[in-house]
Amino acid sequence: MTDHDNQQYKDRLEKVASVVLRPVRINNKGFILWMGFLIVAFAACLFAYSIQLRKGLIVTGLRDYTSWGMYIANFVFFVATSLVGMLISCVLGLIGFKWVKPVARIAEIIAIAFAAVAGLVIISDMGRPDRLPYVFMFGRVQSPILWDVTVVTTYFALSLLLWFFPLIPDLAVAKNKLSGRPAFLAKAYEILSFKWVHHEEQYRILHIAVRILLILVVPTAFAIHTVTSWLFAFTPRAGWDSSIFGPYFISGAFVSGTSALLIAMYFFRKNYKFQDYLTDFHFEKLGRVLFLVSIVYLYFNLNEFLVPAYKMKKLDAIHLHELFMGKYALLFWSVQLGGLVIPIIILLIRKMRKPLPLFIISMFVFAASWLKRFIIVVPPQAHPFLPVQNVPAEWHIYSPTLIETAITMASLLLALIIITVLSKLFPVLPVCELAEDEAIADNELLSGIENNSK
Amino acid sequence: MNRLLIILLLQLFPVILMSQGWDTPADKKGKLSPFKFTDETRIVGEKLYLLNCKSCHGNPGKANFINLVPSPGDPATDKIQHNSDGEIFYKVTTGRGPMPSFKNALSSNDIWNIISFLRSFNPKYIQAFQPEIKSAAYPGATINISLLLNKKKDSVIVKLTAISPKIIVPVINAGIKLLAKRTFGMMPVDEDKTSDMKGFAAFKIPKGFRGDTAGNVYFSLRFTDEDKFGAFSKDTVIKAGEITIPQSLVKDRAMWNNVRKAPIWILLTFSLGVMSVWGFIFLVLFKLRDIYIVGEYLDKNPGKEESELK
Ligand code: HEC
Repeated sequence: MTDHDNQQYKDRLEKVASVVLRPVRINNKGFILWMGFLIVAFAACLFAYSIQLRKGLIVTGLRDYTSWGMYIANFVFFVATSLVGMLISCVLGLIGFKWVKPVARIAEIIAIAFAAVAGLVIISDMGRPDRLPYVFMFGRVQSPILWDVTVVTTYFALSLLLWFFPLIPDLAVAKNKLSGRPAFLAKAYEILSFKWVHHEEQYRILHIAVRILLILVVPTAFAIHTVTSWLFAFTPRAGWDSSIFGPYFISGAFVSGTSALLIAMYFFRKNYKFQDYLTDFHFEKLGRVLFLVSIVYLYFNLNEFLVPAYKMKKLDAIHLHELFMGKYALLFWSVQLGGLVIPIIILLIRKMRKPLPLFIISMFVFAASWLKRFIIVVPPQAHPFLPVQNVPAEWHIYSPTLIETAITMASLLLALIIITVLSKLFPVLPVCELAEDEAIADNELLSGIENNSK
Repeated sequence: MNRLLIILLLQLFPVILMSQGWDTPADKKGKLSPFKFTDETRIVGEKLYLLNCKSCHGNPGKANFINLVPSPGDPATDKIQHNSDGEIFYKVTTGRGPMPSFKNALSSNDIWNIISFLRSFNPKYIQAFQPEIKSAAYPGATINISLLLNKKKDSVIVKLTAISPKIIVPVINAGIKLLAKRTFGMMPVDEDKTSDMKGFAAFKIPKGFRGDTAGNVYFSLRFTDEDKFGAFSKDTVIKAGEITIPQSLVKDRAMWNNVRKAPIWILLTFSLGVMSVWGFIFLVLFKLRDIYIVGEYLDKNPGKEESELK
């Protein structure tokens, strides 16, 4: 750690702060237009929800067979994507990869937004949301549903703290550099920086706190997605009855999370002009991460589909036939090939691990991740287990309604609103840490020159 | 092409069934109830109907039968009422397709009681009945059935005798079946038997056959050929089963029980896990306070030495 009083560090701090704080403003036209769009669209979707609230879930495509549809698929997707916070700042951070520093906070912002919205998505799937308190009043600890509620809340809290703690020094630096912004922002920074004066003792406390959080968040994040997978795997239904659902979900989560991070990074690099900090090097590294997690996910996919497909037990066979050659074949193969196999092949090419190609690849992977959750959740429910006659066609073929789609859109819009607010009100890159690294690099360079001249 | 054919056949299958009609063998059509239908038989029949038939046929007269192919139909309508008593009796006993056979589930008397209930929806119905069962084999005699447990307690011995004012003879070569009452309906015990030359037959009781809390089992003996020997049953309670104290499935701690009866390990794991993680979260929150205290101290005492902080 460098001495935080040294002049070199202070110069560097000025420079980094000027770049990172430039986009922290909310009174420019671009922001107002974007935010206005988000809010109007969100309000429109809320109107759709008000219809559902009045008439009940009958306004959705959910029926007796497919009672978990787009909402639950969307929920799994949100939980999955939020796991990127743990992957980047903890797994890679704890191992000691220094290059994750500038992207760690972006990853946490995604984690906060997606974990918070995941909880709300569940409520949208409830026919009687007024009974939500019953989960806490009459919840059974034996039920994975209660575990899920518990761990999602915990993970959200941890992500929030992991975002906030490293932000404290930056707030202290930034609080005097906010000219031209609304006064309340400086006031908020003042309060939230908790009298930070860059003293060694404060750094010591901060490091302990962050360390505890980093360690806690790893098992919590594994728990949240494993429990989410158990919501399915604890039933004997063909297509869900799988003992590898936990790792299958976690590895899939890393794929969708990394693609979300790459999309966000590309956006911040372009719009916030962070080319100096979110460099080709960072994209190259994360391109490799995306390749790695995709390969692992592919491996779990192989196990998940080939093992039952080889045995073809009666009910599995019905399910797999629908996926491979039946009504879901087109969706299934485009997701598996377009969202997994082809990206893996493309990512092998070095030229494709540049920002723009990665952004495009990630868009495909991200969209495929959403559809993949749909494939996991919906098709297994479409077959009844008992011979039943004269079932209405709408039970067999689940098709989401417009209202349902709008409510699902609302969740995405809300996540975007949270990300926008956090990234417009607070610095997106770690100012102090970047300045520190640059100062160290300067020092090494200087001492290298001195050594050479001796 | 092949698939199309199968689908077509599947579509046609119920239609074929329906168009075939449901014929009753000529000798069964004229079968009559051994007793006169009264308000009492109707009430007994209604209870049995609600328990056994309503799930498919709905409430008579309300047309709320369920949607099956072939259709069960409303018993108050002509679809069922056009049948003779014997036809209804035959159809309920044998069943067809989705319509179950009630041969073992209900006794003949039960079925006649149900028919009595069904006929109460038909104002045009006039009952004909046949109080005396013609026992073709032993005309004029009443048949006495006794059931006993053998010494080894592994078989039920049946003794059949025909008693008339003039003679007492063993009933020989009579097909009989033994049914035991279980939670859901009557279950056949052992295979159907034929009485021997002395009027005896033995039904083996399976090992571990469950009785009630005293080991009692409710048995019902019937003739397989009721036309020949009479449509009545001998019902008795015999201590032939193992003593079974019913255990409530929600008595002990279990995964499926309510939260107060959750398994200890899961209660502990869950609450300890949640408490420790949130304990650490609050610990981390207190660190915020520490940071603040340090900052404030340095604010008020600029230039103080490091050591004084601790
Ligand atoms: C599991 C559903 C089900 C139950 C329970 C059931 N039925 Fe039926 N029943 C049917 C169906 C389906 C048919 C039509 C069968 C056919 O036409 O092949 C039918 C047909 C009949 C018929 C013949 C109707 C005709 O067309 O001649 C009678 C009589 C009848 N049921 C009486 C009863 C009685 C009495 C009971 C209760 C002891 C009962 N059913 C219980 C489904 C059921």
